[in-house]
Order: sequence, then C-alpha cells, then structure tokens
Amino acid sequence: MNKYLSQNYAFRKASDRANYSSEKKLSDYLKNPNLHFVFFAIAMCVVAYLSVTKVLPYSLQTGLAITFSYAISSIGFCLLMGYSGLASLGTGGFIGIGTYAVYYIMGESGLSLGIAVLVSLGVAILIGIIVGFISLRIEGIYLVILTLGLSEILRNLYMVIEDSISVSSIKIFGMTLRRQDSMYLIVIVLSLIMIVTNNLINSPTGRAMLAMKNSTAAAQAMGISLIKYRLMAFVICTAYSSLTGVMLMVCIRTAMASNGTGFYALITSLNILAAVIIGGFKSIWGAVFGTYIMYGIQTTLLNQIPFFQKNPEIITFISGGLVIIVVMFYPGGLAQLLTELKGKLKGLKARIKEGIYGKDLG
Amino acid sequence: MAYFLNQIFGSITPMCVTALVTMAITLIFKTSFTTNFAQGVISAFGSYVTAAILTQKGVPMWLALILGMLSSMAFAVVIDVVIFRRGRYVNALGKQIITMGLISIIVGAIPLIFGISVPVIPKFIEGSYQFTAGGKDVIITKNTILSMVVTAIVIAVIFILLRFSKWGLSVRATASNEYIAGMMGINTHIVTAVSWGLAGALGALAAVLNASSGTTIGIYFMTNYQVYAFLAGILGGFATFYGPVIAALFIPLANNLIQYIVNVLGMPELTGWSMVIVYALALIIIFFKPQGIFGKKIARKV
Repeated sequence: MNKYLSQNYAFRKASDRANYSSEKKLSDYLKNPNLHFVFFAIAMCVVAYLSVTKVLPYSLQTGLAITFSYAISSIGFCLLMGYSGLASLGTGGFIGIGTYAVYYIMGESGLSLGIAVLVSLGVAILIGIIVGFISLRIEGIYLVILTLGLSEILRNLYMVIEDSISVSSIKIFGMTLRRQDSMYLIVIVLSLIMIVTNNLINSPTGRAMLAMKNSTAAAQAMGISLIKYRLMAFVICTAYSSLTGVMLMVCIRTAMASNGTGFYALITSLNILAAVIIGGFKSIWGAVFGTYIMYGIQTTLLNQIPFFQKNPEIITFISGGLVIIVVMFYPGGLAQLLTELKGKLKGLKARIKEGIYGKDLG
Repeated sequence: MAYFLNQIFGSITPMCVTALVTMAITLIFKTSFTTNFAQGVISAFGSYVTAAILTQKGVPMWLALILGMLSSMAFAVVIDVVIFRRGRYVNALGKQIITMGLISIIVGAIPLIFGISVPVIPKFIEGSYQFTAGGKDVIITKNTILSMVVTAIVIAVIFILLRFSKWGLSVRATASNEYIAGMMGINTHIVTAVSWGLAGALGALAAVLNASSGTTIGIYFMTNYQVYAFLAGILGGFATFYGPVIAALFIPLANNLIQYIVNVLGMPELTGWSMVIVYALALIIIFFKPQGIFGKKIARKV
C-alpha cells in the first residue's frame, strides 16, 4: 500500500510538471548532473586553496590529489565493469604508461605536459586495443588473470628500462606548476573525465555496453557489434589509467617499479577494483568515494586522530574488513545503500504527509 | 655445461615454491570457485610464525615449520568458516574482492602481531655438493635437495589422496558441481574447509622453503609466486589438478633457461628481460589455447 502511494505521488508530480511548467525552474537546471561535477570541481579547488594557504591541514591537498588521481582510473574501471561486464587487473601496469610518458617527454626532452598526455593516451589506446582483442577470445576469471599477466609484463619492462624515475619540474602551457598547486589541475581533469563518462554512459554507446553486459548473445542479435564496444571499453579504461599515471607523476613526481607496493604492483589494481566495488560499480560518484576510502581517508581524516596516527596498520586492517562487509551484505556498494536510504526517506515523507492530511484516496 | 647445470639447479627452489603455491591456489579455485589473491599473504603469515618460534625458543627447525604450517592452516580454515561459508552465493567477482579484503586485513595484522623487525629463517641443512662438469664447478646446496624432496613427497601424497581416497573423491565431486555434490550426501562445507586448510599449510611450507633459500621475508614476498601460480593455472588449465602444477614447474625453469640461452647467444644485457619473455610466451600460448594446455573445452548453452 505504502509503495503504491509513493508511486502515485511520483506519478502525479511528473504529470503536474508536464501540465503547468513549460518554462523550466532553477531547480530543474540544478538537477543536471554535469553541473554537479562542475560544482564539485569548484568546491575542491576552494579546499585546495584553503589547504595550500594552511587554513585547512596541509596534508589534505596531498591526500586528495592522490585520491583524485586514482579516481580517474576508478571511473574507467566503473565503465568497464559496471557497464561492459568485463574485468581487468591491468590497472597497475597501465598507470605506468602515463608515468613513463611524463618522465621521457618532460623530464628527458623538456616538452610540455600536454604532449606527454597525448603520447600516453596514444600508447594506452594501442594497448587497450590489444587487450580488447584478447577479451574476444577469453572471458571471465581467465581474462582477469590474463590482464594481470599483461600488467606484470609491463611492470617487468619498466624495471628493466628504468627502475626509478623522477621529474623535477612540470611545465604546462609554458608555466611551471608548483607541486602544491597540482591539485587544481587534477581536480579539473577529474571533473572533465566525470562529465565525459557520464554523457557516454547515457548515450547509445552506454546502452549498447549495458546490453552487452547482460547478454552477449542477445546484444549481438540486436545488431550490437561486440568487437567494437569491447575494444572501446578497454581503450577507455586503459586511457583513463594512463591519465592516472600522468596525474600521479604531477603530484608525487617520483616512482619506482620494483617497489612491491608501488604504482604498478598488483595491489594497486586490486585497490582500484575494491574502490569500485565499495562505491557501487555503476555509479561515478560511488567510484570516487570508494577511491577516497581506499586511498584518501588515511592521510586526510584518520591521521588527525592520534590513535590512528600511532597505529597506521589498524586503518589497513579496518579497510579490509569494510571491503568484505560491503561485498557480503551490500553487493551494490555504498551507492545502493544511499538509494535504499533515499527510498526509506521518501516512504517516511509519504507517511508523515498521510498523518497530517489523512489518507490519499484519489 | 657447468653454467647450464647451475641455472637448472638454481631454478629448483623457485620451481618447488611455485608448485606448492599453485597446488594451494588450484585447491581453492576448484572448491570455492575463486582465485585466492590472499594466498601470498597467508603464506607469508605462516613464515612469520615459523620465524617467531625459531627466535624465541630453542626449538628444532622442523617443529617450527610444522607449527607455522598449522597456524596458517588454522587461519585459512577460519577464513573459510567465518567468511566464505556465508558468502558462497556472492558472485565470482565479489569473491575475488573478498580475498582482496583479506589481504588488507592480514597486511594490517602482521605488523600488529609480529612488530616491524624483519624475521630470518636459516637454512635447514648447511653445506653443499660440488662436482666438476666441463672443467668448471657445479654447486648444489643440500637445502635445495631437501626442498625438492619435501615438495615432491607432499605433492605426490596430495595427488594420491585426490585420486584414491574418499576425501579426494568428495573434493573432485565438489569441484565438478558443488550443489549436486551436496545433494549426493557430501558435506561440502567440510570439503571446502579442508581445502582451505590444506592450501594454508602448503602456502606456509612454500614460504618457509623460499625464505630458507635466502629470500628476505616481507609481507609481500610471496606475491610474485602467487602471480606465477595464477598464470600457471590458466596456462595448464584449471580443469584438472595436474595441469596447473606441471605448468608451474615450467615458469621458473623457463625463466632461468631463457637467461642461459641469452647469455650463450652473447646478449647478456637481455638477462633482465627473461621474465618479460616468459610472460609474453605464456600469454601467447593462452591466446591460442584459451582453455590451457591440459584443459578441456566446455560446451556452453547460449
């Protein structure tokens, strides 16, 4: 009964809007998701400014910069897993494409960051195409392990070429980017990525990917080219990961391939996977929030508490437990939790209305 | 010739370690239907326990090893009973993420329990055998031979049990279809728990063998072998138990052989690339045989 009532409300609201408001109200414009991403970018730039001027703790901007760098590849993974139904553990290796592009193009050749980004995207697209072709033959858990193997190839390659890399100064549009200002650039890139991905998801491409996820056979029967969309999904995921590498290089500036917990290690790929799962693998905001839990919460929030500052291992311990609990009890992730809460809130509102005005018999 | 033999003997310990880890991962894959990413850290946990027992009391090495294996075993059984038994209808990806969460838990727990000092495990037996081949010395340590014998015995016993014992039959039944095995009166809970326990013990044994050959113990020091094991799993095909183990023997061997070939051909600067070449070869084989070398093609309904 309750559910029926709330549905009825929703229906009437929609029909009211159709009847009476041909002109859009301000609140309708505010509902545009692209605007949310822009607001997010502005808010985070303010946080970065406050953090650099030391109104807020200085560690905040470093933690958030790292989080948002990784969030780019989480969003790519979200598209790959939530919308195309493919999984990969190659993130770590693909991040290396970006870091090495920055190292060779900027550190060695002294060119601008834009060129490094273009080169890394070019290489990433090439590798994405290769993985996409592999994914046509091999599926499921086997594909996951295969991409893991590919990532290990890349990591070993990096170790052989140049184990430890660093850049001293980042130039962009002729200006030198100071290290503490890197968060501005990262936030702008992240919000652009969010806007692009959101539009992609809601376009025919996104729907084709969803169809492919739910049933490859049915999707093919409807005329969706499997090869085109799988390649596309992997290319986007790899490109985003390489962009993460570029951004990490912008904010951290050193990387080491033989480090067992470094950028290219298996643990990075697993962390990104976990971030997407915790956040809810179909939600862009969820992916960003999940990344924050995996990468940012320790430096930005918990280190302010003396207990956690003394025992940093406990945070790793708790985050592991959190991952397990989310997977077992909330398979849709935190995004699902939020939707459920919203639904409950709506039900509560309807019940309160019912209490005040009496039952709606209309 | 001497160089060739040295390369072969040098790859024996990695082969043993990889084979043991692969056996563990295959057991869990067949009964719990997931790739256990936490295998590396569970193994490391066992070696930490062994090292801790060795430092604190004057116990013999074999006893410390057995205690380490038992602790890893208990730990793995607890994981299965507390987490996987409740989450058995979580989808495949979800299970992988659970094992990934386990990594974080163990990585957080190890420094809390054992502190941050780096533990050391000495060799089981000191000394080595030496002989000449082609005018040069060939060295094989007694420790390597011991590792090889122990590994061979353990793996042979597991295969014999799998093939001929009642437990092996129930594992194979669970592997082929957990639900129907349950309906046929097999207690799949116990089968899974025993598999996890066995996997934990095998992992600890592998970690201790690896550490006693001179590798520094760390939280992530078994992760490399875990990756080899996954690769071996799909290279040999998870459809059988023996496929992955055979493939596991080839990965470290191929690594050292490629180093040998590269050096013989007069390109020593390529030595660092050997692992890249091994991975690339493995991926090419998998690309052309997606079911693995020993795998069977499974027909699927549309």
